[in-house]
Amino acid sequence: MSDEEWYDVVVVGAGVAGALIAKAVSDAKLTALVLEAGPERATSFDGYQRHVRHFYAAAAKNAESAWPPDPHAPQPDTADIRQGSGYFIQRGPDRYGSSYTRARGGSTLHWLGVSLRMLPEDFGIRTRYGVGRDWPIGYDELEPYYRKAEVAMGVSADVADQRYHGLTFGEGYDYPMRRLPLSYSDTKLAEAIAGLTVDVGAGPVPVTVRSYPAARNSTPRPGYRPIGTIDKRPEGGEVEMFVGERCAGNTSCTPICPIQAKYNAGRTLTQADDTYLRLIPQAVVSHIDIDSESGQVSGLTYLRYDDSGFTIHRVRGGAYVLAAHAVENAKLMLLSGLGGQHVGRNLMDHPALYAWGLAPEPIGAFRGPLSTAGIEELRAGAFRSQHAAFRFDVGNDGWRATTGAPDTTVAAAIRQQGLYGPRLRESLAAALSRQVRLSLAVEQLPDPANQVTIDPSQRDPLGIPRPAISYQIDDYTKAGMAAATQVAQAIFQRAGIADCTDHASGTWFPTVTWGDQVFAYHGMGHFAGTHAMGSGPHDSVVDSYQRSWEHRNLYLVGSGSMPTMGTSNPTLTLAALAIRTAEQLIASMSRG
Amino acid sequence: MQSNDSFLALSAALTGFSTLDLLGTGMAQEYQRTLDATLPPGIYRELLETWASAGGGEAATDQIMGDPKLGPVARNLIQLWYCGTWSAMPDDWRSAYGTTPLDMSRVVSPEAFQAGLQWAVAGAHAPASGQQGFAAWALPPEGSS
Repeated sequence: MSDEEWYDVVVVGAGVAGALIAKAVSDAKLTALVLEAGPERATSFDGYQRHVRHFYAAAAKNAESAWPPDPHAPQPDTADIRQGSGYFIQRGPDRYGSSYTRARGGSTLHWLGVSLRMLPEDFGIRTRYGVGRDWPIGYDELEPYYRKAEVAMGVSADVADQRYHGLTFGEGYDYPMRRLPLSYSDTKLAEAIAGLTVDVGAGPVPVTVRSYPAARNSTPRPGYRPIGTIDKRPEGGEVEMFVGERCAGNTSCTPICPIQAKYNAGRTLTQADDTYLRLIPQAVVSHIDIDSESGQVSGLTYLRYDDSGFTIHRVRGGAYVLAAHAVENAKLMLLSGLGGQHVGRNLMDHPALYAWGLAPEPIGAFRGPLSTAGIEELRAGAFRSQHAAFRFDVGNDGWRATTGAPDTTVAAAIRQQGLYGPRLRESLAAALSRQVRLSLAVEQLPDPANQVTIDPSQRDPLGIPRPAISYQIDDYTKAGMAAATQVAQAIFQRAGIADCTDHASGTWFPTVTWGDQVFAYHGMGHFAGTHAMGSGPHDSVVDSYQRSWEHRNLYLVGSGSMPTMGTSNPTLTLAALAIRTAEQLIASMSRG
Repeated sequence: MQSNDSFLALSAALTGFSTLDLLGTGMAQEYQRTLDATLPPGIYRELLETWASAGGGEAATDQIMGDPKLGPVARNLIQLWYCGTWSAMPDDWRSAYGTTPLDMSRVVSPEAFQAGLQWAVAGAHAPASGQQGFAAWALPPEGSS
């Protein structure tokens, strides 16, 4: 065991929450150590490009295809979900459909970049609709931190588009960059469904196609300089200027933006001052040590590995921040015998359905960011007392996600229709450009039975027990899936889109049944709820600053702290919470 | 070079793209090597000879596509050009004509994925490759009214 080192703040995990906190701590001239379980392969432009080529050559182009794990720090994989094998031990009854990445940058390496705020009503659905839980803080408390997160991550949107469902913005504020242009297909769909109303149980609601905020570089507003490709090397970066300062439409936000025009947490880490921030990759924390008298964390034990094996180390600090991911945070607490009865419980996701069809004319599929618009009207409303809310992403990538197009479209034309020569080319030209995809992401409520535990009988290569997941999609969410399906069908019908949704011909997904309906769903990667915040230790793991009730120098940050998730992709909210935590943490250390 | 010309002419007939388009992908030699190395000995040569001896036109293409031995090879060649991927030959074809260690489903190379004609025919580009530029996605696609 090597000598113990001491830092003002020790952060576990170099994803978005850990990066934002470590950067803030180092900006305040306090020392921060970041322990990252996975590798650090993409700090230089060359290192990053190797991941791009890895993606080109990958047989399955799923979310992880550009980011192979290190065997010492295994991670869940989309292909494993189908096999029922891999890193997660799936206890059922339903299959948990999401994955994440253990590496410097975390899952922001391959996220889509959607940066929606939660709605004001999302913070109090128990009071308002009698379901789920209330947050200990409200939208107004978080609003200034949303603004800070939007600047820190570089979010493109126009406030004028985003004032709906009670969303408010600070006086005079607008996003750091103008909204990304809507795709041609967004515009055509918007025209085609103009005037459409739907009713999902609380009266008619007009439906519109709306630009959503995205952490992808667009035209900057005055005073903001977008950050693109990072290139950190000992001798200084060598990338030519401006690469990635605008989205160039690579149609590859997931799994890898080749020019880093989309935010990833590595950018935040690269901007930090190395004098105060140190990052150790390939360092897996295996235990949180507690001082038995004070109840405070006294140190962390971690395993540092390379190809030849691992060594055991210990580190101490003034405060400790677990930012390892909703599942990994819970796993680490359970490994250390900490956190009480609530740790690991209330695991959520946005189980999502696909609807796909053929537009009546070419709409330019397979161009632009993977999506640029959504349908947000059904994120709120009185129907939430009866069933889940939902939102749609309008795809720009044809049937890539739903059926594996264009490869599968080509294969069907050659092998099933027997086409070749000019007829093949004409047929594909007519079909591919008309492919439409909607993603129907459905809210899920916290349920204590949906839970991450650890299984000491099944260990990873470092000997650490693997996470086991118990998961069920309840009737509230299934009824939301049914309503979302109806809305998708109404949209297709109004727009003259031939509905081709057929899960038997699509990419494989787990299914749930509801009455006589079968829903094939997939995970959105939106893990949440495993160390939820609340009003006290009787109902939660952390307070609104994500500070552990039991161990006051310990913070558990990330989407695991979210007691409910509404319908917004959680990254922006967890980033806002992280910035709020960092402020409180730094203030408490300055006072101390 | 004779076989290179025949390969390109056959590929053009099968894909519906011109030999100039196919040369422009830069992939012709790699795909020739892929066929030669992946098929059991002699079959690639037989494919080109059959094409040439049948006159190299539409009738020759139809003949190859209808041939139990060469038809599946030609379909794989089309897929190679469109997707950059090789599909393992069907089991019954393997039993009849043999196999090689390379005959497995795979992306032939990073460049093959990038060069797939499927992206061009969609009026698009391979993901993470051939970026069209900021806001190009807001414009109507090529060929739309």
